[in-house]
Amino acid sequence: MAAVTAAQPRSSKTESYVDNKRKEDIRQANINAARSVADAVRTSLGPKGMDKMISTASGEVIITNDGATILNKMEVLQPAAKMLVELSKSQDAAAGDGTTTVVVIAGALLKQCLSLLSHGIHPTVISDSLHKASTKAVDVLTAMAVPLELSDRESLIKSASTSLNSKVVSQYSTLLAPLAVDSVLSVVDPAKPDMVDLRDIKIVKRLGGTVDDTQLIKGLVFDKKASHAAGGPTRMENAKIAVIQFQISPPKTDIEQSIVVSDYTQMDRILKEERNYILGMIKKIKATGCNVLLIQKSILRDAVTDLSLHYLAKAKIMVIKDVERDDIEFITKTLNCLPIANIEHFRAEKLGHADLVEEVSIGDAKIVKVTGIKDMGRTTTVLVRGSNQLVIDEAERSLHDALCVVRCLVSKRFLIAGGGAPEIELSRQLGAWSKVLHGMEGYCVRSFAEALEVIPYTLAENAGLNPIAIVTELRNRHAQGEINAGINVRKGQITNILEENVVQPLLVSTSAITLATECVRMILKIDDIVNVR
Amino acid sequence: MAIERILKDDASEEKGERARMASFVGAIAITDLVKTTLGPKGMDKILQSTGRGQEVTVTNDGATILKSLHIDNPAAKVLIDISKVQDDEVGDGTTSVVVLAGELLREAEKLVAAKIHPMTIISGYRIAAECARNALLQRVVDNKENAEKFKSDLMKIAKTTLSSKILSQDKEHFAQLAVDAVMRLKGSTNLEAIQIIKKPGGSLKDSFLDEGFILDKKIGLGQPKRIENAKILVANTAMDTDKVKIYGARVRVDSMSKVAEIEGAEKEKMREKVQKIIAHGINCFVNRQLIYNFPEELFADAGVLAIEHADFDGIERLALVTGGEIASTFDNPESVKLGHCKLIEEIMIGEDKLIHFSGVEMGQACTIVLRGASHHMLDEAERSLHDALCVLSQTVNDTRVVLGGGWPEMVMAKAVDELARQTPGKKSHAIEAFSRSLVAIPTIIADNAGLDSADLVAQLRAEHHKEGCNAGIDVISGSVGDMAELGISESFKVKQAVLLSATEAAEMILRVDEIITCAPRKREDRM
Repeated sequence: MAAVTAAQPRSSKTESYVDNKRKEDIRQANINAARSVADAVRTSLGPKGMDKMISTASGEVIITNDGATILNKMEVLQPAAKMLVELSKSQDAAAGDGTTTVVVIAGALLKQCLSLLSHGIHPTVISDSLHKASTKAVDVLTAMAVPLELSDRESLIKSASTSLNSKVVSQYSTLLAPLAVDSVLSVVDPAKPDMVDLRDIKIVKRLGGTVDDTQLIKGLVFDKKASHAAGGPTRMENAKIAVIQFQISPPKTDIEQSIVVSDYTQMDRILKEERNYILGMIKKIKATGCNVLLIQKSILRDAVTDLSLHYLAKAKIMVIKDVERDDIEFITKTLNCLPIANIEHFRAEKLGHADLVEEVSIGDAKIVKVTGIKDMGRTTTVLVRGSNQLVIDEAERSLHDALCVVRCLVSKRFLIAGGGAPEIELSRQLGAWSKVLHGMEGYCVRSFAEALEVIPYTLAENAGLNPIAIVTELRNRHAQGEINAGINVRKGQITNILEENVVQPLLVSTSAITLATECVRMILKIDDIVNVR
Repeated sequence: MAIERILKDDASEEKGERARMASFVGAIAITDLVKTTLGPKGMDKILQSTGRGQEVTVTNDGATILKSLHIDNPAAKVLIDISKVQDDEVGDGTTSVVVLAGELLREAEKLVAAKIHPMTIISGYRIAAECARNALLQRVVDNKENAEKFKSDLMKIAKTTLSSKILSQDKEHFAQLAVDAVMRLKGSTNLEAIQIIKKPGGSLKDSFLDEGFILDKKIGLGQPKRIENAKILVANTAMDTDKVKIYGARVRVDSMSKVAEIEGAEKEKMREKVQKIIAHGINCFVNRQLIYNFPEELFADAGVLAIEHADFDGIERLALVTGGEIASTFDNPESVKLGHCKLIEEIMIGEDKLIHFSGVEMGQACTIVLRGASHHMLDEAERSLHDALCVLSQTVNDTRVVLGGGWPEMVMAKAVDELARQTPGKKSHAIEAFSRSLVAIPTIIADNAGLDSADLVAQLRAEHHKEGCNAGIDVISGSVGDMAELGISESFKVKQAVLLSATEAAEMILRVDEIITCAPRKREDRM
């Protein structure tokens, strides 16, 4: 290490000062870098958007259409480009969907800013005007939105399938969309109807089958097989399940200890004692009527040994070992039981009950399913299947997006049209508004309005349509008052998009616009890049 | 050559003219670097870390920028130090102080070139600073008696501070937050009682002030999620195992059952410890260290809410606000002070679950939860809010207030100019130079806003020639405006600190006539 640090030249004051290029150059460079990031993901927008293949440094290959994932894997170095990656992450956190849209909008805004800057408008003026325009845009969008009831399952499914339509798994959207809706609705707590914790939905991936075989399971699924090294049971009806955090193995103390064996007979005695010790534990477990054991992984010592597995099998207790500590909370919540940390506390009231626990073989692998849980907590599990790892991973990401879409609708119950309709409408209304404003502001707002047309333009372009013809016709239709006219990519023409069931949550659109504007404003305000420690 | 050998091989020495030159260049370079962040239309900087991870910070805060720079120039280091001191003392004005010092040096450079002795310049600067301070003192407003007016003063100051930061769009909201938080402190400057929690998601407007205390931790499994009238024991103790800390201690046994006995004894010891803790009559236990599954279960059985792995900062604050003490032994329940609060419950902010303690002992305590689009944003928002809180808490103690927007500088410059005319001798040049440096601040504010600074400053100067004028630069409309009407105010304490420490720093750098660089210590090649 010492050599490396020494090799670095001591950067003196004067050196780093030369490093700082002129402000205009810096801004130009920032904007260009950010735009090239936006251009990279542009082609993956919309239902006919293309996928990207990413081969990571570790040789892993990922195929995806999800903007956040693509950007996350791209190792960008330029700080401003990094901010765009961050932007996509924030959209992922805020709304879960629209991660490509947000980056494309930011790229278009930056392009407009570049020309505004070249007119000599001060960056802070542009930044303030953008803020005003985005606030106004959110108002316009809210006015366009249609309220929604949670009982309206149809609409929820529609919006989930709009999100899924742009993914690899689009042909399965009829299956996945209802699945996403059902799983989110099943974890909504009636006491807090606005809150959905997606951590209550567990996604288990299993290779084999096709995406068609993906299913929602009312219960628990473990992505591992039951331990039956010693021939233990693999199916248990009327299960009494215990989640244990202690180990069924020979005792180990925290103090360093060693057993001194002085002659051979003692050896036998020790073996016998070990057997008795484990047998004693298992008897205690058996006494409570427990017949399924979930054992938490332990790093300090073996969670179970062959010997204890043998005895457990004899006692007809099914064992699932190596349960991760992080999963314990989810499991206990689902099973409505308490974890047991010590054999002395092993009591019947801490057990969870289920009708059936069984090991099922899927493809060439096995999983353990727990169904018919008594007093089940508000959790749910989705088992995702697919013919290869790439498809499964992408299916999981797409499903996550769909879940987020439904969650958005639960927390903010408004729907808005898709297919570029809101963007064109925004562009029209803001364009009209810009004429009322005075000075630089009006000029900047008009640029903002123009930038928003990038979404329908790109949608059309990716679908192989003539973008200019489509965008101009859209403008025309909207000017005539058809505020829901949008691009119907399947038919390749412009239709009333609400009738085509292409809808998305309001939250996705509003957060895309506000986040993109905030990010652009931040980039605009930067006039220097300083290398620091 | 012989004289050169006084110093070690790698050491170097710069003398007289060259030394002074080096200091001037360094200090002015630093000034130019942070100059563009000054004022409401100041720009931000990206700080790109050259270390591992290449982390990126976007900031407008002078102290933060300067703190992280690589510097190899002694004079530049002095400027960074004064900015740090300003940050610690009053919390705001970190850029102003560096810019003023830099401008003073820039003027001094010209005077030195005109063959005026540095000592003469220094004494001139001293007189001028004293005069400027007095001029400002005469114009301060003090609304200590009138609570209503004072509160509006605080609001104005908060808004002025925030308007140069990232929070400027929502400054009303944040100014209110900051003022409320500081008013709760009731005059103490202990900002520790104000906790700032950052949670990504939502927008800046969703940030809120919450009375009580929020801990970013989870409640243990199977334990109550809501407790009323909580008695809290804050502890820093090992809840995994009480290890024997003697190295190499080991137990020799001759059978397996003995090992089991030892294990049992260990468990028993832990159980005793838990019993002792519960015997304090508590229903909430917060530990700084891990709580293992076993004791966690014991607590759950006793219906005690146990929180593990709270960070140092967290437990110290918690102990402070609930009025408890951090305990590490549990043998004398009567001597341990327990913390109290009315209600503990789990709340959800964004996607995360947090633990909320409300109705705490120390009424001053409160928590500000910041929401925002990204981590960059939140970090910058925290820095900005911290600045505002610092300024406000200082103002509560020293209630004198001046106007902002370049007004104080113009008032001072006018007084200093008059002084220069009355002063005989070479000193008067230095005093005049001081006044020019003061005017540089409104000039830079105007320049950053893209306005015609020469024109505006000339107008401003003309306005100030009248008695009792309140004119300053109104950056929003781009003209000279009445600062009292626009409600732009600053704390007198900040301005005074800027003036005095900038003068001192300039003086110190001016006095230098020789820079000796010591030979760097050789690194042992360990590879």
